[in-house]
Amino acid sequence: MIIKDALIYVGKAILFGLIMAAVIIFILPLITGQSLTNGITERVSSSNSELSFSKAVRRAAPAVVNIYSLSIDQSKPLNPGSLQGLGSGVIMSKEGYILTNYHVIKRADEIVVALQDGRKFTSEVVGSDPETDLAVLKVEGDNLPVVPLNLNIPARVGDVVLAIGNPYNLGQTITQGIISATGRNGLSSGYLDFLQTDAAINAGNSGGALIDTTGQLIGINTAAFQIGGEGGGHGINFAIPIKLAHSIMGKLIKNGRVIRGALGIGGDAVGPVMAQILNIPDLTGVMITEIDPNGPAAKAKLRPRDVITKFEGESIPGVEMLMDRIAETPPGKQVMMTVIREGKSYEVPVVIAEKPVHNN
Amino acid sequence: MKTKLSLLSAALLGATLSITPIVSQAAIPLAVDGQELPSLAPMLQKTTPAVVAVAVSGTHVSKQKVPDAFRYFFGPNAPREQVQERPFKGLGSGVIIDADEGYIVTNNHVIEGADEILIGLHDGREIEAKLIGADAESDIALLQIKAKNLTALKRADSDALQVGDFAVAIGNPFGLGQTVTSGIVSAMGRSGLGIEMLENFIQTDAAINSGNSGGALVNLNGELIGINTAIVAPGGGNVGIGFAIPANMANNLVQQIIEHGEVRRGVLGVMGQDLTSELAKGFGIETQHGGFINEVMPDSAADKAGIKVGDIIVSVNGRSIKSFQELRAKVATMGAGSKVEFGLIRDGDKETVTAVLGESTQAAEAAAGSVHPMLQGAKLETANSSGVAITEVAQGSPAAMSGLIKGDIIVGVNRTKVSNLKALKSALEDQQGAVALKIKRDKTSLYLILR
Repeated sequence: MIIKDALIYVGKAILFGLIMAAVIIFILPLITGQSLTNGITERVSSSNSELSFSKAVRRAAPAVVNIYSLSIDQSKPLNPGSLQGLGSGVIMSKEGYILTNYHVIKRADEIVVALQDGRKFTSEVVGSDPETDLAVLKVEGDNLPVVPLNLNIPARVGDVVLAIGNPYNLGQTITQGIISATGRNGLSSGYLDFLQTDAAINAGNSGGALIDTTGQLIGINTAAFQIGGEGGGHGINFAIPIKLAHSIMGKLIKNGRVIRGALGIGGDAVGPVMAQILNIPDLTGVMITEIDPNGPAAKAKLRPRDVITKFEGESIPGVEMLMDRIAETPPGKQVMMTVIREGKSYEVPVVIAEKPVHNN
Repeated sequence: MKTKLSLLSAALLGATLSITPIVSQAAIPLAVDGQELPSLAPMLQKTTPAVVAVAVSGTHVSKQKVPDAFRYFFGPNAPREQVQERPFKGLGSGVIIDADEGYIVTNNHVIEGADEILIGLHDGREIEAKLIGADAESDIALLQIKAKNLTALKRADSDALQVGDFAVAIGNPFGLGQTVTSGIVSAMGRSGLGIEMLENFIQTDAAINSGNSGGALVNLNGELIGINTAIVAPGGGNVGIGFAIPANMANNLVQQIIEHGEVRRGVLGVMGQDLTSELAKGFGIETQHGGFINEVMPDSAADKAGIKVGDIIVSVNGRSIKSFQELRAKVATMGAGSKVEFGLIRDGDKETVTAVLGESTQAAEAAAGSVHPMLQGAKLETANSSGVAITEVAQGSPAAMSGLIKGDIIVGVNRTKVSNLKALKSALEDQQGAVALKIKRDKTSLYLILR
């Protein structure tokens, strides 16, 4: 009897509790206006204003210009001439300095820069650097839009980026992707130093801006990976990091060209195998494989098979680092290098020359 | 006893309630390390059933004249023409916009010339569709299917889109089956591409390929913002440059097709060009984008609204426009009789005028298929009120098979004279069976029979 009473008591309580719980669960979402199942979509729609890049676009896009070459028909001298789309460029300062690619402007006689507000300017080339494929133009204008810039935040793989340019001369286009890979940042020789992105970059995007989601410039779009002349569309595109582009721009504005030091050698890093052959087990450095007969190295009596181990007292682990150190040295300066020849170490003074510019 | 009961009930209730929130949130992790993990899956669950595959089949007919040399060999009774029939099949996409009526929007180029249109629904059903109407110039077509349990897409205000907004393309590329790709809005109001007669595209880098045509471009809320239509493809495939017809423009056209079975193009009655920086400088104005008016037709909608030569139209219904082409595309797709507010700059001052768009009769082009099925493939234009000129004939089209060639002027139907496109339309509407068209070709007159 006692057991039966207790069972009824507990059963009633459980039943009542479950009914109340069910009622409350059913009513609660109606009160708060939120269904339990679509919490995710609610979230997407509620923060919709932040899920657009329009703010970043508004900050940066006005400073990205279209670059045209003006070709004048000689037979019709009164004709204003037709504009041919070449690529894109980025206004870097209120003074009207514009960064673009060297290959965009290298064949143009007269360059016209078109702003997104419709203004057009003829522009002069301040300087160009074929090695990094960069060029600086200048236009004279009032109230020029300038791209926001932060040189101190390096791009990371996975960052969302936007490419701004004028592909196929369609008009300004924004495409989105991520940083797929990064090279080495801030080195002056410029080789292998690209940012890689899967944001769509096509012919005409060259010289345009790669920005982050806050609208700050992080690179100058330069090239798309191509197979057999078939343009673009593979999601493998390259941009010059802004730190390098900015430093090159400073040099171009100052000197009209980038002055790089040269040693006049070709070389290879000394690997473990070569170290064994030379019988110096822990040798690191660069072995000279070819030498320019008129270059500074030849003048300093260096020759092939010499191994450069130190540059101004600093050990040299690889070719890129040596090339960078040489490129950064002002021409005419004498530097001390440590060279190993036939197992013996020598200190050799070398006067760095200026690297000749190859216009390709 | 009573109090004990309620106490125990309260305890159980509390326990049940405290457990439920945990259960309801355990399904999908919303965040990892405090950062939200975005996924479009919840939105797509609701939207993908509204995007359908469109399979078409038909026959391209091409005629080739048999050279006289062969006729010599085969005798005078040999056929003058060799008729080739090439069956074709095509694949595209479509968007259900009205679940009750079964209306499906797609591109005109997806269904053009098709004898049979088959809709493949997301749930596997295959249903034959009826063509309600199409507009070749803007590349929009409206289909209808009879089916229950359809899902329709809600439409977003595509004029409110901004460059940089996320966009998701849903379609049936290469006939692979339904595919979703994501990107952003790359540009707005794109025109002058030469893809369609009327262009006012949304540009996107979401991957669009052959077969995506007619499919949906949606925003993050799963609302329709555009109908994917074309791409720039130097190598044949996507390079991140795709174009979609804005949902608002498509909606205007669809409403006209539902109402009239065809698009009644609105006419403002102006000629013009893009505002250039030179023009802006010349007129001393700060605006750099808009449509510059060169000419206003007398008695046109523009004339009646007080639009004058030299005005610069900068907005349509409060939305700014970039180019004259964009203005043209917007006006032409709004439908005759619609009331439109134009923002313009006159002598440096901003003004607004309201115009009621006229219907295109004079000097207007028409897709001839809507006039008579055997005229399909021809482009018609009223020729100085003396008849209807054929400005273009597509090869192998019914119009070409009827014997029409470019430059012909239709001056009569049976014994009725026709002086313009409207008259031709009404004259053909009453006719059953074969029709004799009186044609002026160069300086001769001839009759062609339409069957």
